[in-house]
Amino acid sequence: MATNPMHQFQVYRIGPEIKIAGIDLSFTNASLFMLISAVAICGLLFLGTKEKKIIPGKFQLISELFYNFIAKMINDTAGSKAKPYFPFIFSLFMFVLFCNMLGMLPYSFTVTSHIIVTLLMAIFIFVAVTVIGFLKHGFGYLKLFVPSGVPAVLLPLITVIEIISYLSRPVSLSVRLFANMMAGHTMLKVFGGFVISLGVLGGWLPLSFSVALTGLEILVAFLQAYVFAILTCIYLNDALNLHH
Amino acid sequence: MANLDDFKTRLKIAKKKLINSSENKDNNRNSSSMGSAFKLSTDLVAHVAVGTIIGFILDSWFDTKPWLIIIFFFFGSIAGILNVIKTAKKMQEKE
Repeated sequence: MATNPMHQFQVYRIGPEIKIAGIDLSFTNASLFMLISAVAICGLLFLGTKEKKIIPGKFQLISELFYNFIAKMINDTAGSKAKPYFPFIFSLFMFVLFCNMLGMLPYSFTVTSHIIVTLLMAIFIFVAVTVIGFLKHGFGYLKLFVPSGVPAVLLPLITVIEIISYLSRPVSLSVRLFANMMAGHTMLKVFGGFVISLGVLGGWLPLSFSVALTGLEILVAFLQAYVFAILTCIYLNDALNLHH
Repeated sequence: MANLDDFKTRLKIAKKKLINSSENKDNNRNSSSMGSAFKLSTDLVAHVAVGTIIGFILDSWFDTKPWLIIIFFFFGSIAGILNVIKTAKKMQEKE
């Protein structure tokens, strides 16, 4: 059972079963790790902003580092108009990053390796960006689907293609995060299984692979959080500054 | 208090820099190049998948199986490839 590489993704109930109107709302290990990451983020930022020193301490330094990183990213990709959306993108980035990083700990559960979690976040971003676009530009937002400088014969074709490309945003956003996390964790577990089955004689090679893969996975965990946040910024940029 | 005044002037300079950098968008390329590689690969797949799904839904609406799913599969492929070309052009402009 434990050697099954997919076993780590199993969601199970912790504590009593709670059912409201036929919907299962029980507390699961997924909810536990979401809660842990939310508490960890709040704790880190609370400790970081408790004492506001000119020469920062460890926690303040980390918090300021995250703040600067996201602030610069929003400024670079979406411009100064996107400043009001900083809290949303910051919490999104921190949540994805902490879920990914907590998943790297042994015996923990990776929330972001479930497509329902990432798809929900992606659909929320998609709907929010669409609503923001329509609020800012009215029906002029539909110009996004009609790029300028296209011959009239090709226009219907291009419009269909642009609509497909717009609708594929939440799919690619969610699948990217989910697939990377799930593939990485499965691979780690498979190589771990090789170590056991090859024993003391042949197990060293997969063990060294495992060590290298762990490093790679930590990079991927950070990178995927970064990509998730920067793509949200790019979509927001499309909605705020209509270029087409 | 000289230390604090010095800090205030530095803060002003930093704020000016932040406003200037938002005008000319320059990305830090180091970490974003691997990110855009991830983006390109999944985007290509997602476009084809979404195109095919749209074709499938329209097919069951209009009862025209299997024509729209075929057409929209190709639309999705075109959209995916065009998207890759667009992103590649943007990356070239940055350099």
